[in-house]
Amino acid sequence: MLRSPTGEATLTDAIQVEDLEKTYPPAVRAVQGVSFAVHPGEIFGFLGPNGAGKTTTVSMLTTLLRPTKGRAAVAGLDVAEQPAEVRREIGLVFQDSTADGELTGRENMILAGGLFGMRPSECRGRIDELLGRMDLTEAADRRVKGYSGGMKRRLELAVAMVHTPKILFLDEPTIGLDPQGRAGFWRYIKELRQEQQVTIFMTTHYLDEVENLCDRIAIIDHGRIIASGTNDSLKERVGGDLVELRVPADGADLTETLGSVPGVREVSREANIYRVKCPRAEGLVSALVKACDLAGVTVEGVTVQRPSIDRVFLELTGKAYREEGYDDGRAAQASVFHTRGRGGR
Amino acid sequence: MLVELTALIRREYLRWIRAPMWIVAGLMTPILYLLLFGQAFNLGALVGNVPGGPVVLSRALWGAPDYFSYFAVGMVGLVAVTSALFAGTGVIFDKQLGIMQRTIATPVRRSTIFASILIFRGFLVVLPIFIVLGLALTFAHIPGLVGLTVTQPVGADGVAEVVLAIFILAIAFTSLFLAFGFLFARVESYFGVVNLLNLPILFTSNALYPVGTEPAWLQNITAYNPISLAVDVMRETFFGTTYYPHPVLVYLLGLLAWAAALVAVALLLAARALATK
Ligand SMILES: Nc1ncnc2c1ncn2[C@@H]1O[C@H](COP(=O)(O)OP(=O)(O)O)[C@@H](O)[C@H]1O
Ligand SMILES: [Mg+2]
Repeated sequence: MLRSPTGEATLTDAIQVEDLEKTYPPAVRAVQGVSFAVHPGEIFGFLGPNGAGKTTTVSMLTTLLRPTKGRAAVAGLDVAEQPAEVRREIGLVFQDSTADGELTGRENMILAGGLFGMRPSECRGRIDELLGRMDLTEAADRRVKGYSGGMKRRLELAVAMVHTPKILFLDEPTIGLDPQGRAGFWRYIKELRQEQQVTIFMTTHYLDEVENLCDRIAIIDHGRIIASGTNDSLKERVGGDLVELRVPADGADLTETLGSVPGVREVSREANIYRVKCPRAEGLVSALVKACDLAGVTVEGVTVQRPSIDRVFLELTGKAYREEGYDDGRAAQASVFHTRGRGGR
Repeated sequence: MLVELTALIRREYLRWIRAPMWIVAGLMTPILYLLLFGQAFNLGALVGNVPGGPVVLSRALWGAPDYFSYFAVGMVGLVAVTSALFAGTGVIFDKQLGIMQRTIATPVRRSTIFASILIFRGFLVVLPIFIVLGLALTFAHIPGLVGLTVTQPVGADGVAEVVLAIFILAIAFTSLFLAFGFLFARVESYFGVVNLLNLPILFTSNALYPVGTEPAWLQNITAYNPISLAVDVMRETFFGTTYYPHPVLVYLLGLLAWAAALVAVALLLAARALATK
């Protein structure tokens, strides 16, 4: 029996992965022993930069690739031993669109239903419902080659859901969409999860995607999982919030004073700036300012930095997280952390 | 299984029906052959007046009353090869577009995927064959046109044998080219090999010109060429058994052996291409 990473047997997990490996011949070690569990009903994010091994992992979980080593169970079924049964329980949205452009959206869905043994008459209602859900009713009878990028992605979602799968796999589902399109797509995914009670495993290389959409995440880099947990638990690893206090240059040293404020985890000083790490900045800022006042130092400025997944990535790998082909300023922010991270080591 | 098969064939059909140029081009080529080449090239007119000419001609044409009748039956083989030539392209495009990947990720059986492709692509081969054969037979009844003249009564069993030969030939060539479709990742490599095969297959057959004058080794190859086997079934049925060493059934069995072997090879390559890596 498979066991969860924490050790206890969990029959109820939607996906259980244990020490999974994939080596492409001759020696590309794309996935090097990953273990994790996905709970029913959650949106699980598999975050990693390009080439980290995300698609390879998804392909093994969806029976398209045979694992070199290790085991994986999807919906309680072993992917290597019961591939046909696994395929029945899962829906799949590939990194690249796979709908037939010469067919209409509805025809693509009828085809998808047919591949799961559903006659067109049997899945008509389901198809109408999903097309409506994805706001594709109007476009349903137009050929897919005329769809916009966002429409194609929504159609892929609808196609993947025709047979009411228990688990939905999305491989970089919002790649190529603009930020608005991506935010819109997140909404559709959240609604799907809500209404269809489907477990969602998705890969992404967008930091904001896991932060806004996923209940729990695993970060993969060079074929290994370097961290996993909820957004909050991961962020706590980097020491939670960071409060920066700017004081006059000539004041007395406050490191001790600030360190003794309840809730403070770590204090460091760089010239006239104190950096205070704490699990949560809420309620603490006034206490910190008050402590300075009592010590006879007037605080001139306060900034609070929330923990972020890129800070997690940075602290764990020692390198900045880069999102290729998409820049909303985060990459720049990450490299700022990069220099800071180096300096702090 | 039938639901899955229907769904896959329906998709192929929809793609096909939406590319009208493709259909027109596919059907026009053989029709042009019949109208231009077949009509213009009339051997009978050349030897018709020479004493003993008709007998010599009949022997050379394996019992056919004129070259057009001989050639029109051979057209079945030509059309089979030239239509089947494209069978593998769909597979390659589906692989490239990820559509194959999506299909593999569903519980559909690999054999069903293969069957759907073979059936639909086979249909695309059989369709122009029947059109050409029908046209050639019709020409014989249109004044001013040379047509395919059947010289002996053809019963229900004769019709069945001809139809069977056409279907088996279509399956054989469709499988052959599908095999290359499953083998290759790129259309360029596919057509490279397919075009190389195309001509020897055609020209070692008795489809287009009468056999009898080439060296013995070539005659042997010709006798076993699948096109020859199918064409022999039809000519013997249409023009009588006089010049044929074997009964129709022998040719049919030979053709069946070809088809079985080629289907097996294609299935093997399909299984390899569709397998979990
Ligand atoms: N079919 C393959 N053969 C050899 N190497 C591959 C193959 N597919 C992927 N790789 C390599 O495996 C690594 C992981 O790839 P992939 O799983 O696609 O990463 P991601 O989806 O996270 O971008 C990369 O180094 C990639 O070059
Ligand atoms: Mg990928």
